[in-house]
Amino acid sequence: MSCQTIYPFVAIVGQEQMKLSLYLNLINPTLSGVLIRGEKGTAKSTAVRALADILPKIEVVKDCPFQLAPGDGLNLCRDCFHVNCRERRITGQQVEAVCRHIKVVELPVGATEDRVVGTMDLEHAIRKGEKRIEPGLLASAHRGILYVDEVNLLDDHVVDVLLDAAAMGVSTIEREGISFSHPSRFVLVGTMNPEEGELRPQLLDRFGLSVRVEGIADRDSRVTVMERRVAFDESPETFASLWKDPSRELVDRIEAARRLYPEVTISREELYTIADFCLNVGVDGHRGDIIMMKAAKTLAAFDDRRQVRRSDVEEAAELALPHRMRRQPLMEIGDNVKKIKEMQR
Amino acid sequence: MSGKTLYPFSAIIGQEELKLSLILIAINPGVGGVLIRGEKGTAKSTAVRALVALLPVIETLAGCLFSLAPEEAGERCKDCRLCDRKGGVVSRQVRVITLPLNATEDRVIGGVDFEKTTQHGKRTVQPGLLAQAHRGILYVDEVNLLDDHLVDVILAAAAAGKNRIEREGVSFSHPSRFILVGTMNPEEGDLRPQFLDRFGICVEVKAETDREMRVATMEQRELFDTEPSLFIERYAEVTAMLAQKIVGARNRLPRVFISGRQRALISELCTGAMVAGHRADLIIEQAARALAAFSERLEVEDADILRVAPLVLRHRRREQAPPPPPPKEKEHDHRHDEDPPEEEQEEEEQQNQENPEEQQPPPDSSLDQEDGEDDADGNGGNPDESREPTEPVSPNALEAVFEVGSTFKIKPFSAPKDRVFRRGSGRRSRSRVSGLQGRYVKSTMARGTKDVALDATLRAAAPHQRSRQGQGSCAIAIRPEDIREKVRERRIGNFLLFVVDASGSMGARGRMTATKGAIMSLLLDAYQKRDKVAMISFNKTEARLNLPPTSSIDMAARLLAEMPVGGRTPLNHALVKADEVLRGQLVRDPTSRPIVVIITDGRSNVALGVAKPMDECLELARRLAREERIRFILVDTEEQSLIRFGLAVKIAEALNARYFQTADLKADTLIDIMKAEV
Repeated sequence: MSCQTIYPFVAIVGQEQMKLSLYLNLINPTLSGVLIRGEKGTAKSTAVRALADILPKIEVVKDCPFQLAPGDGLNLCRDCFHVNCRERRITGQQVEAVCRHIKVVELPVGATEDRVVGTMDLEHAIRKGEKRIEPGLLASAHRGILYVDEVNLLDDHVVDVLLDAAAMGVSTIEREGISFSHPSRFVLVGTMNPEEGELRPQLLDRFGLSVRVEGIADRDSRVTVMERRVAFDESPETFASLWKDPSRELVDRIEAARRLYPEVTISREELYTIADFCLNVGVDGHRGDIIMMKAAKTLAAFDDRRQVRRSDVEEAAELALPHRMRRQPLMEIGDNVKKIKEMQR
Repeated sequence: MSGKTLYPFSAIIGQEELKLSLILIAINPGVGGVLIRGEKGTAKSTAVRALVALLPVIETLAGCLFSLAPEEAGERCKDCRLCDRKGGVVSRQVRVITLPLNATEDRVIGGVDFEKTTQHGKRTVQPGLLAQAHRGILYVDEVNLLDDHLVDVILAAAAAGKNRIEREGVSFSHPSRFILVGTMNPEEGDLRPQFLDRFGICVEVKAETDREMRVATMEQRELFDTEPSLFIERYAEVTAMLAQKIVGARNRLPRVFISGRQRALISELCTGAMVAGHRADLIIEQAARALAAFSERLEVEDADILRVAPLVLRHRRREQAPPPPPPKEKEHDHRHDEDPPEEEQEEEEQQNQENPEEQQPPPDSSLDQEDGEDDADGNGGNPDESREPTEPVSPNALEAVFEVGSTFKIKPFSAPKDRVFRRGSGRRSRSRVSGLQGRYVKSTMARGTKDVALDATLRAAAPHQRSRQGQGSCAIAIRPEDIREKVRERRIGNFLLFVVDASGSMGARGRMTATKGAIMSLLLDAYQKRDKVAMISFNKTEARLNLPPTSSIDMAARLLAEMPVGGRTPLNHALVKADEVLRGQLVRDPTSRPIVVIITDGRSNVALGVAKPMDECLELARRLAREERIRFILVDTEEQSLIRFGLAVKIAEALNARYFQTADLKADTLIDIMKAEV
C-alpha cells in the first residue's frame, strides 16, 4: 500500500458526514468505529484507504507482533515467539521503540478464521517439536483501524470472533493446542451496500457511528469529482503534492483535537438531553448513550472548543443513533433516520 | 493485562438483579450458574468479567493443572504425571475461564500435548478448559451461538461433575465442577432446553430507563475510559469491602438454616410454575440460603425465597396444559402488538380492509364473494375430484395486502446428512465441512487444510520409528507422508426456497395474516440458522421470482409484508419456476442441499397445458421429487373445518414432502425435550 500513491483524503469531494465520522474516530478511538452504508461508487473504500494519509502516530515496541506500547505489561511477552525482544523485555532491558502511524488493517471478506485470530503451524510443530504461532489480523489491528469492506458479506463465524474482540478489546484463542489471549482494541470501520443484506444487530451495535453515503446530486461537484479523478489517474504524484498543504493542515487539526479532548467538558444538562434522546427513540442498552456523549465531546474538540454545545449533541445523535434504534433482525435502518430528524425539530 | 483494565464491579450502575445473581454464585456454587439474557450494551459481559475481583480464595495443589483441592489428591495424583507434586498447597482466587465461541473440542476437553509428545516420545495429556474451570467459573459469551458439539461436551461434564477425555489415544478423567455463566442476546436464537436447564438462575437485563441512571452510566464510563487506573483506585475500597462480605457469607453459608415450612413454600412455588423436574426446588433453596448468608443472617426468611424464586423459575416456567406457546420473544412481537389472537382475526381482517395500504381498495364484497365461492365449491363439489372453479375469476381480480400475523418459534427441520464436504457457516443441517470449525470426526490422508490430526499422524509414523532412529532432534520422527488431516463436521445453513401462494382463496377469513405470520416465523428461523433464501409467489396467471437467492432475509421480510393477495392459483407455474431456480442453484453450488418450503392450500386451478390443472400439478410434483438433493416441505394453509379438499396432502405425497399444517409448525418445547430432533 505504501509504494503506491493513494488518493489524498482531503481531495475527496463532498461526503462530509462520512469524512467527519472518520475524523472523529481518529481523534477518539474509543468511539469504536464507523459503519459506512451506501451504494456503489460513492468513495467509501477510497476514503478508508486514503485515511493512511492523515493517520496520527503512536509509539510501539519495534517489530512487536502485538503492537504493544513500550509501557505495556509483560504478560503477553512471556509466550511471544519473538525471541530477542522477549528476552530483553523480560529481563527489563531497554527495547527499541518506534513512532509510527497507526495501521489500517484490511480484513478481506473471504478471510478464514485462522487468518483473523492467528494460527499455529501444526505440521511444523509436530515435526520439529516447537510451537510457532502466527498472530492474526486482530493482533496487527490492535491500536489501529480494522477495515472490513462489504462487512455484511463476512462469514458468520468470523463475525462471531469479531464480536468478542470488538466488545472486550481482547482476543482469546483456544484452538488445537494453542491457548492464549492478547489485547485487540481497534477502530472497526466497515463499508456495506445495504442491498446485499443487513448486518446482524449484534455486530451493528459494535460500530460506534454509522453514516449513509449517497451519490452527489449537485452538478458542479460531480464535475469536480471527475476532474480530480482524471488528474489523479494521469499523474498521482503531482496530484498528491498539490494537496500536501491541506493534508498537513488537517493532520494538525486532528492532532490538536486529540490533545484537547481530555479537557472537553459536557454539562449535566446536555447529558440529560442525550439520555432523553435515547429513551425516546428506544435504543437498546447503554452503548448508544455512551457513544453519543463521546461523539459530542469529540465534535467539540474537533471544533477547538472545551465545552459541548447543543449543536454537537444533535450532530452526534445523527451519527450515533440511526443503527441503534430498537429493531428486530428484519427491520430497516433507513426509517430510523427520519425519526431522529423529527425528534430534533 | 488481567485485572488492571477491568471495569470495577461496584461501579456498575443499576442492574441490581444481575449483580445479585453473580454475587449469589460467588457465595454458593450450589446455585449452579447464571444465564444472562438481554439486549446489547447492558453491561452483561462487563459484569461477568468484573466478578473476578470479588471471587473468594480457594486452596489448590501448587502446579496442579486440574486445580484440584488438596483433599481431592490421593489416588488421582498417582496416575497423573503432569506436575511433580512438590509444590504443596497454595491459595489463589477462584478463576473465571473464558470459553471463546471458536474454541475447538480438544481445547475444551483436553487432548494430547503434541509438543511434549513429539519431543519426549511420551504420551502427555494437555488439560483443557474444563480442567482449568474446575472449582471456578466457566464463562461463555454469546452462549446461544456456541456450536452444538461443544454444548454436548459441557452438558456431559456439568451433569457428571467430571470430564472424561477419550480421544487421540488418551483415556483420562478428572473432576470438573464449574459454575456455568453465559450471556446471550435472545434475538440471535435460543438455547436448547437441556442446556437452559443447566443454568440455575436466569436474569433478564434491560437498559435502565431512569434518566439519572443513564446519565450516571455515561459519566462513569467516560471517567473509566479516560483515566482507568484512577477510576479503579477510587472503587478499590468498595470492591474490597464487597469481596470481604462475600467471603463472610461463604463462611456463614453452611450454618444457614432453612425451615421445613419454607421448603414447603418453595415446592409450592415450583408446582405453581409447572416446572419439570426437581432442579428448580433445589436451586431456590441454595440461592435463598446464599442470599440469607449475604444479608448476614443465619436463618432464611420468606422474603429471601420470594426474591430468588423468580430468578430460578423464569426460564423453567411452563404454562398449564395444553402445551405452551413457546417462550415469547418480545422484540419479535412488538411489531405485531396490535395483532389480536386468532379468534379475533375476522375483526383484524376488517381493520385491514378499512385501511388498505397503497392498493386499490379491496372491497369487502369482492373478498366475500370469493370466499363464498370457495364455500360453494366445498359444499357442492366432491372434495376428491378437485374441480377447478369454472366461474370466471378475472385474472385482474382485485388484490389486497394483509398484515403479517404474529410470529412463533419454528420446529427444527434440516437436510439429511451425507458425506460431501462443504464450506460455510450457519446452524441448520449437519455436514462435513472443509473449514477449521466443527467436530473432529475422523482423519484422512488427503491433504489440503493444514488441519493436522495429531493422533492419526502419530499412529502413521509409529511403525517406522525404528528405521528412522537418530534422525532429527525430536523423540519421534515424523515425515510429511505421515501427516493426516482432520475431517470435521458441523451444522451449516441451507438454501431455502419459499414458494408462497398469494391467490384469492388465501385471503379468505384472514388466513393470509396467519400465513404471513407463519412465513415470517420461518424467515426469522432462517435468519437465526443463517440460511440463504429465495422467494417465489404466485397468483393470478403466473408465478414470479420476487427474490433471487440472497442471504438478505430482510429483503424477504419486506417483500412478504408488501405481498398482495388475490386472483387464481397458478401453482403449476410456480412449481416450474421453482425447478428453474433450483436447477440454477444446483449448478452454481452442486453440493448444496436446498429445502423448498411450499405454502399453499393446494387448490391449483391454472393449467399450463391442456390437462386438468390438478393432474398436471401432481405430475409436475412427481417430476420435481426425482432430484434427490432437494427436500420439500409443504405447509397446508387450508382451513381446519369439516369440509376439506385435502389437495395439499396429495401434492405433498407426490413431492415426497414433509407435510405440515400451519399450526404444526410451532415448536413444542416439551416434545423437543423428549425426542431430540430427527
